[in-house]
Amino acid sequence: MSRQREHRGIRVDRSELQCRKGCGYYGNAAWQGLCSKCYREEHQQARQRQIEEDWALAERLQREEEAAYASSKTASPRPSLAPLPQPEDRKSSTVTTVKKFFSPSLRTTPPRKESLGAHPTPSSSRPPGSATDRATRDFIDFLRPLQKLGQEVYQQSQTFTESAARKQTRSPEELSEGVQDFYQSLSDRLLSHFKGSTDSVERVMEQVEKYVMTRLHKAALCPVTAEDKRKDLALRRRIQDLHWVSVEMLCAPVDEEVAEVSDCVVKAITDLMEMDSRCVPSEKLTCVTRCSKRIIHAVKVTKRQPASADDFLPALIYTVLRSNPPRLQSNIQHITRFCHPSRLMKGEDGYYFTNLCCAVTFIEKMDAQSLNMSAEEFEWHMSGQPSPGKSAPAPAPGPEPGAGQRRAGPAGGAEPAAGPAAGRGP
Amino acid sequence: MAAGGAGGSSKTYSFKVVLLGEGCVGKTSLVLRYCENKFNDKHITTLQASFLTKKLNIGGKRVNLAIWDTAGQERFHALGPIYYRDSNGAILVYDITDEDSFQKVKNWVKELRKMLGNEICLCIVGNKIDLDKERHVSVQDAEEYSESVGATHYHTSAKLNKGIEEVFLDLCKRMMEVAQADERSKGNGASQSGAARRGVQIVDDEPQTATGAGCCSSG
Repeated sequence: MSRQREHRGIRVDRSELQCRKGCGYYGNAAWQGLCSKCYREEHQQARQRQIEEDWALAERLQREEEAAYASSKTASPRPSLAPLPQPEDRKSSTVTTVKKFFSPSLRTTPPRKESLGAHPTPSSSRPPGSATDRATRDFIDFLRPLQKLGQEVYQQSQTFTESAARKQTRSPEELSEGVQDFYQSLSDRLLSHFKGSTDSVERVMEQVEKYVMTRLHKAALCPVTAEDKRKDLALRRRIQDLHWVSVEMLCAPVDEEVAEVSDCVVKAITDLMEMDSRCVPSEKLTCVTRCSKRIIHAVKVTKRQPASADDFLPALIYTVLRSNPPRLQSNIQHITRFCHPSRLMKGEDGYYFTNLCCAVTFIEKMDAQSLNMSAEEFEWHMSGQPSPGKSAPAPAPGPEPGAGQRRAGPAGGAEPAAGPAAGRGP
Repeated sequence: MAAGGAGGSSKTYSFKVVLLGEGCVGKTSLVLRYCENKFNDKHITTLQASFLTKKLNIGGKRVNLAIWDTAGQERFHALGPIYYRDSNGAILVYDITDEDSFQKVKNWVKELRKMLGNEICLCIVGNKIDLDKERHVSVQDAEEYSESVGATHYHTSAKLNKGIEEVFLDLCKRMMEVAQADERSKGNGASQSGAARRGVQIVDDEPQTATGAGCCSSG
């Protein structure tokens, strides 16, 4: 084996390394001693035939699945509140544990309602895998204009998900690594095809991510680990304990006296909670972005000037505190693990997501100093006792965290409760 | 490995630039002036100044800039590393009339260098030169300090629209240099550039690239 020799670090004669066809470039054992160019020429036709056959097969299977789906739908219309199929089952069980810990709360309902509202047919009555079918169909539709490249992308994505599905035992970290490696190699391949146009690559990768993640999700391959659950609960408790934190304390430029602003805040809260009901990372990310844009709008209405990060972050923290979204940590983890990195690192979605991570970190570490109050006062609030220095008594920690009791008082441009760190914007 | 057409003039660079600076130094005005050419204007169309993008063309190369504003309040200081992870450049803004804001810049520089090393390009910007009469940070101090930490220093006025284009242009050029150097060093490891190295000595620590190439061709 030539590779073995290479590993020992033996000096190899140049002619041995060169392409068999004698074109002057270096060959590769994996390409039967040809250089990439000659290999491609030699094998292009066989490969092409193969790809076309596979593509035809995929389409045929697709049609068959669709036909089967259509007949099953008419044959057995199950009641919409029937027990959820596998993947959803896992979710609902988590919801009940959360419920157990935190007495009845409306927080747990939106995801369900959302998934019902999002699709024409209730998700629970569809045969398992129909969402996958739709994902496959959408994916093929998207790839069709790309012709040969589209077929290749489709094949690679399918091969990858199948091989991932075979290795059921993997931990989320390993799976994440596999997924990220796959993204990386595919986007490198696309980058060379599109001659470096990153926009086109990202467009395709977005669809690849959606397809791959829908399929993996349906295969119940992205479980929530015990560690994630523990963190979720810890954060939920933490946010409940901080229910007394007000807009003024955070110096968030959000004046909820204005109807438009409070409307935005309520919608932002809904968006944030909706994140949990989405299974694909890019869709979760979209929820974060939508939430953030509403907050930005609220800030803009309050301050009458474009929202800078100095305004946006406190307002986002306030929104997170008020909404206490279900399984926030696992959702953040899921996005970090399985999202295509370029979207997460450079784009606008990535910016808002980063801010959400910042908000969570801030909430976890929040202390007296970060709210410009004395340590005693902070302790009073945390202990749930009525604070002596304040006119409005702090409500006992209940199931409704961050409720509006302490939001009274104008929080206009010239924040009354502003401390030394309030200076912002020119 | 960007084989084939990549690496040529058709490549588009995308860079992430973080904007750091205390609350009142004028970060927001600076980016709004740069991206929208407006200052304290009623007609600012953008809803927000926290995330802005700008497309540039530098020497025939396309560059997409994503400018990430960061919350500058002291209480959010600890969140810095979450913001500037993976950024290619940072613009650190201080107010020339406020000595304290310059000290903050120094803190950030220290942190950035510690977390990201020399990969990140830094620009230190003294804003509000229209208020030069009230200057509290001397030009010499600022320039000497910037040089000592490998940053370029600029004076700007968002109000008078002075020096802002230059800041971003300079930063882009330097980020491109870093990216190109990066590409070259990556390219050397790949099988593609084998032709450039005559009589290659294949050493033990390259199995990574060997498997990488194999997987590309078969997958």
